[in-house]
Amino acid sequence: MRIVVGMGSCGIAAGAKDVYQAICAIKKTDDDFTVGVTGCIGMCFLEPIVDIYDDKKNLLHRMGNVRVKDVALIVQALRENNPDRLAPLCITPENADFLKKQTRIALQHCGVIDPTDINDYLASDGYQALQKVLKSMMPEEVIEEIKISGLAGRGGAGFPTWFKWDAARKAPSNTKYMICNADEGDPGAYMDRAVIEGDPHSLIEGMLIAAYAIGAQDAMVYVRAEYPLAIIVLEDAIKQALDKGFLGQNILGSGFSCNIRIKAGAGAFVCGEETAMLESLEGKRGMPRLKPPFPAEYGYNGKPSNINNVETFANIAWIINNGGKKFAALGTEGSKGTKVFALTGKIKRGGLVEVPMGMTLREIIFDIGGGIRKDKEFKAVQIGGPSGGCLPASLLDTTIDYKALNATGAIMGSGGMVVMDSSTCMVNMAKFFLDFTAKESCGKCTHCRLGTKRMLEILSRITEGKGKEGDIELLEELSYAIKDGSLCGLGQSAPNPVLTTLNYFRDEYEAHIVDKECPAKECTELLVYAILADKCTGCTLCARKCPTGAIHGEAKKLHTIDQDACIKCGQCVDLCRFAAISIEGGSRHADN
Amino acid sequence: MNDCKCKMNNDLSLIKDVLLEYGNTSSNTITILQKTQEIYGYLPVDVIYHIAARIGSTPAKVMGVATFYNQFNFQPVGKYLIMLCQGTACHVNGSQRIEKAICEELKIKDGETTPDGLFTIKNVACLGCCSLSPVMMIDGETYGYLTPEKTIKILNDFRKRGQKTCEL
Amino acid sequence: MQTINLTIDGKSVTAQSGQTILQIATDNGIAIPNLCYDPRLKSYGACGLCTVEVEGSSKLLRSCATLATDGMVIHTDSPRNRQSRKVALELLMSDHEGDCLGPCTLNCPAGTDCQGYLKQIALGNDYQAVKIIKDKLPLPASIGRICPHPCETACRRKLVEEPISIAHLKYFAADRVLASDNPYKPEVMPASGKKVAIVGGGPGGLTAAYFLGSKGHAVTIYDAMPRMGGMLRYGIPEYRLPKKILDAEITEIADLGVVMHNNVNVGKDISFMELKAENDAVLVAIGAWKSSKIGCPGEELQGVMGGIDFLREVALGERPTIGDNVAVVGGGNTAMDACRTAVRLGAKRVYIIYRRTQAESPADDIEIEEAKEEGVIFRFLTNPAEIIGENGKVKEINLQIMQLGEPDASGRRSPIPVEGKFETLPMDTVIAAIGQKINIDGFEDLQQNRWGNICADEKTFRTSLDSVFAVGDATNNGADIAITAIGEAHKAAGVIDTYLHGIEIPYKKPYVSEKEVTPEMFVDRQKQTRIKMPTRPAEERNKDFNEVNCGLIEEQARKEAARCLECGCHDYADCKLIDYANCYDLDVARLKGEKHPSFIEDSLVSIERDQGKCILCNLCVRVCDEVAEKSILGLVDKGFDTVIKAEFNNPATITYCKDCQKCAEACPTGALKVVSPKTLLRS
Repeated sequence: MRIVVGMGSCGIAAGAKDVYQAICAIKKTDDDFTVGVTGCIGMCFLEPIVDIYDDKKNLLHRMGNVRVKDVALIVQALRENNPDRLAPLCITPENADFLKKQTRIALQHCGVIDPTDINDYLASDGYQALQKVLKSMMPEEVIEEIKISGLAGRGGAGFPTWFKWDAARKAPSNTKYMICNADEGDPGAYMDRAVIEGDPHSLIEGMLIAAYAIGAQDAMVYVRAEYPLAIIVLEDAIKQALDKGFLGQNILGSGFSCNIRIKAGAGAFVCGEETAMLESLEGKRGMPRLKPPFPAEYGYNGKPSNINNVETFANIAWIINNGGKKFAALGTEGSKGTKVFALTGKIKRGGLVEVPMGMTLREIIFDIGGGIRKDKEFKAVQIGGPSGGCLPASLLDTTIDYKALNATGAIMGSGGMVVMDSSTCMVNMAKFFLDFTAKESCGKCTHCRLGTKRMLEILSRITEGKGKEGDIELLEELSYAIKDGSLCGLGQSAPNPVLTTLNYFRDEYEAHIVDKECPAKECTELLVYAILADKCTGCTLCARKCPTGAIHGEAKKLHTIDQDACIKCGQCVDLCRFAAISIEGGSRHADN
Repeated sequence: MNDCKCKMNNDLSLIKDVLLEYGNTSSNTITILQKTQEIYGYLPVDVIYHIAARIGSTPAKVMGVATFYNQFNFQPVGKYLIMLCQGTACHVNGSQRIEKAICEELKIKDGETTPDGLFTIKNVACLGCCSLSPVMMIDGETYGYLTPEKTIKILNDFRKRGQKTCEL
Repeated sequence: MQTINLTIDGKSVTAQSGQTILQIATDNGIAIPNLCYDPRLKSYGACGLCTVEVEGSSKLLRSCATLATDGMVIHTDSPRNRQSRKVALELLMSDHEGDCLGPCTLNCPAGTDCQGYLKQIALGNDYQAVKIIKDKLPLPASIGRICPHPCETACRRKLVEEPISIAHLKYFAADRVLASDNPYKPEVMPASGKKVAIVGGGPGGLTAAYFLGSKGHAVTIYDAMPRMGGMLRYGIPEYRLPKKILDAEITEIADLGVVMHNNVNVGKDISFMELKAENDAVLVAIGAWKSSKIGCPGEELQGVMGGIDFLREVALGERPTIGDNVAVVGGGNTAMDACRTAVRLGAKRVYIIYRRTQAESPADDIEIEEAKEEGVIFRFLTNPAEIIGENGKVKEINLQIMQLGEPDASGRRSPIPVEGKFETLPMDTVIAAIGQKINIDGFEDLQQNRWGNICADEKTFRTSLDSVFAVGDATNNGADIAITAIGEAHKAAGVIDTYLHGIEIPYKKPYVSEKEVTPEMFVDRQKQTRIKMPTRPAEERNKDFNEVNCGLIEEQARKEAARCLECGCHDYADCKLIDYANCYDLDVARLKGEKHPSFIEDSLVSIERDQGKCILCNLCVRVCDEVAEKSILGLVDKGFDTVIKAEFNNPATITYCKDCQKCAEACPTGALKVVSPKTLLRS
């Protein structure tokens, strides 16, 4: 038997390392089980996760939210060969459904194999596709297979992968580069990290196949600096692949040579834009280039280059092994295969999910994600990160499809899916994204540099109750101007969060501007705290602790809050033992 | 840069090996700066001048690159760098309350360092641990499901650890 | 290379493949706005102004970076383009912290370039100074003496210590050039064959004559008074403006070929409609020559007269009998002129009766001070209740005592009577200097507003009649200071000139950038006291009508002019940004937000950099990199925080700026300015 601990970044953050060390500490040499690690299975809401496999690698038990104190029990149960004792720790069938409703291609090995050991990958048919390609396929045939698969770039724009490869292949040059975009900057998406940490060889294999297809001998992975573990895992995987001859000179005797280098990003969202990434790879400020020329013609160091996202590469080996047709059989007319989403926010079962294209948002959020935490009402789902949009309940039946999502004003993006309930203010949400894009704008284009800043200022004043008539129209005007006037995708899509919230939640903007009210009760400046006469016991606790002395009242008598002195810190709410303090979204209600 | 707290006359030999390995081309600028920051804890001005001269660039260009990326610091940072995630999921799940708790506890603002040199707080974009939001990273370790109380407890643990090492 | 054909704005053009749309458009005389393009440099595409629409492409394309292809159909000025450019310019201006023009110029109704001529005066170039002044104001020696100088009110030097003595410097230079062997004369364009009649030879009429005359039009001024000058001659006493100065400046205007007819009363001697029929255009600048009434009992008594009527009589050489006790009612400059004139005529006790206090008085402080020195008695917070007569003649004046009430909407505290408190003074003459009104006789055909003033369009100066224009005290809001009439006349002359050429182009107030300043910004400035105009002693001057001012001594004048802070931008005339900003109807106020503060950096050898004016076109950085090959300048930070810095902004580190100044040449705004080299820093 084998105990496997999920040791992705999120597992570690949830305490997996302590659990793993605890198991190792009490394991004796003569114990009849081994201890191993794996990457992220995607059930992040259950981390730390400990799996028990039999010797034939069949999963026997999956335990979630394992604590160090549970370790003794687990080890004891294994020693006694009494798995029933583990039942209380095992995940519920409901939670197990989380995986059952998915179709895993890019994530097929994540959380299953040991990412630190190439042999584990090889045992799962790893590097078979590479061997097949090098032995029996011409570059054109590889590209044709990818064309048949219908695979489109998973980084956001959804451009056909084969087309880019073909252009790079046809570009005349002896030196070409294959580049992996692992600068997963969308706040709220982390599938690329999970793939690198959990299945680094599928990335390496995909990149090698791609490099072979376009004729590149040099490959680079541009990884975010915020992913230290991913860098360590990938560095180690590259070493192991070199040792096994899958990388380097004359790979598997085919005459094809390719090396992979890691370049760590240094924290700039715009570097996810491919020409900005090229600048960054060349050691410059990550400011997007003018297009054309496209990277396929003039890329890294002026040489033809191809850039794909991690998830895209993670699909390649599967497509070669299983055929493009099988991949294309999944999904919709215009969007083939599967897509990984990072399901987060106010969701019951948050984590990474890989679903076939064509599934509805409702299925992902409710069937897989289990719906909203505390069974609150669903309000919106944010898709596509800072370039995407917030969609309301009425659009829950939208399918996962590039076209269908674009039609809503959101985008597929890299797959961030942040679910929100009634406590999330949509104006504040738009402000959050504009704050992000304004900070992350490279500063080159007038429209983007100054336009996002001004939009942020307008949104800020709206959330502070200082919104003016005409602000909505001004936001719209600026949005369209920024889209028209910006050079790169960051600027062109930066207004999307504002436009979609204006489109679907306009009444919330109006409530802020006209009624000076935040319906979600999130915008502090607008909130009104009041003491409920029927609940206040006059215990004086709030009055004594109020930092500005805004609460008045005699002992055992009803207290009142001086609204002018109240700084809306919320301490009284936390302190009150009688739930006697109400929060209203605006003074309109408080007056009634 | 007049109010710069960084020190001049740094020992430039500390990055000799880095420059030997990467200094042949300015396309390694970011890598060199990352390694340099690992050594000095931040990027001192005189070191930037030195790097520029060695890689055939100019200080203005190197500074332009360094200031473009959030990772680089131009002032010494605290012993513990608190990277507080401000990603979407963390935002939705209350990262602002965590920031408030940290700032009130340490009496510093984003980007600042405590006077005892123990902590620096830096808001960062997504750390990629969205399901555990809100999260922060200190010393390469990620801490999830934060509440203000839990956060302060973690800070206190680090404070104890930091003070202990100071005494040694 | 391959020849390609394309269409730009409906024009078929031929070009070579490999050329950008911007290059081809420029070659074919189609100007596409741009702020970050330089043919010497690689395309950058930041400013967002050069975008064009290409048929078949859903996006706006940057013409500086888009290579033209055969058959392209391009629109450079479509509504979508204009909207995009407008927003780009609004955004740039919303983060542009700088003054295009100094507050002096902006506050001058005629927009005279004070900073420009002060600089010339400081350098000793009086001729150049006068040339700059006469670009807007053809009567500098006269106006410099009498103008209440709104320029000085606005002068930012007051944040250091006191405003520059702009008006006095103006007439200092004008006097010298007038007296020189080489007085300034503007270029006169060839005769246009168009005839213009100007009714009224006051400051407005004379100014319009000057500008229309120099444009080559045949100008005739008709004036009802014996001599030209209007209120400058008949409303301003000799001791303030010696008439020989005014005569000299009027002669200069006549020398341009302007015909001047005096003693012609339009409406009596010649009908207005006749004048209109005989000329291609008529400008009505008849002023406001009727005194307003006090509105208290006894006004019909002998010995009560209007302020301007009194001044006119004196100017015509008469010496009206005013007795020993004279009350001048009013607190403005006409009241000051009247009371000081009364002193000079020998009155023993001259009172100013003013219902507010000195603080609210519209008269210049210096006028009040000098009047006091000359013995005028100021009775603030009093108001005539009744003028009491005896045998039909003024005997006494009964004054209601006033007090100041709450500030009104304009912020001025309004006077209210103190109930039951009165005072009576023995009086021989009461002069009402409380306002002026237009005398419409002869011009009844022109539409008037509810105050009886002639309606003139604010942008075209057109009256209700075709080909008839009007400016000055007779129009719209009524009487104002001379420089206001001059400003209107200058603008109207411009409009009339275009009208005479067939297309009337209305006056448009230029959009300018203005900086927000605080006194803290000037704490480092060395204090230098304002020059004081030497005057003749009060006991001497109050007995005659000779000029009170003695004139500035040259050395002091040059020094005074050099006190100018040079608030306006050195690059205003050549600034591409403000040029474009004026081509689009900008509404910058709606985008008001955080700005990059303005401060001066001097880290290059002979360049000063003003952060507030930088628009991040990056031309300086790219020129330093690609043309000068020095790469001393660089971008720092990103997003809104992006700024350009010269090597850490540390002057000591600049050892290899070769002082080519190419960066400053490339700058499309005034962010970079060439100054004298700081050689010391180079060592």
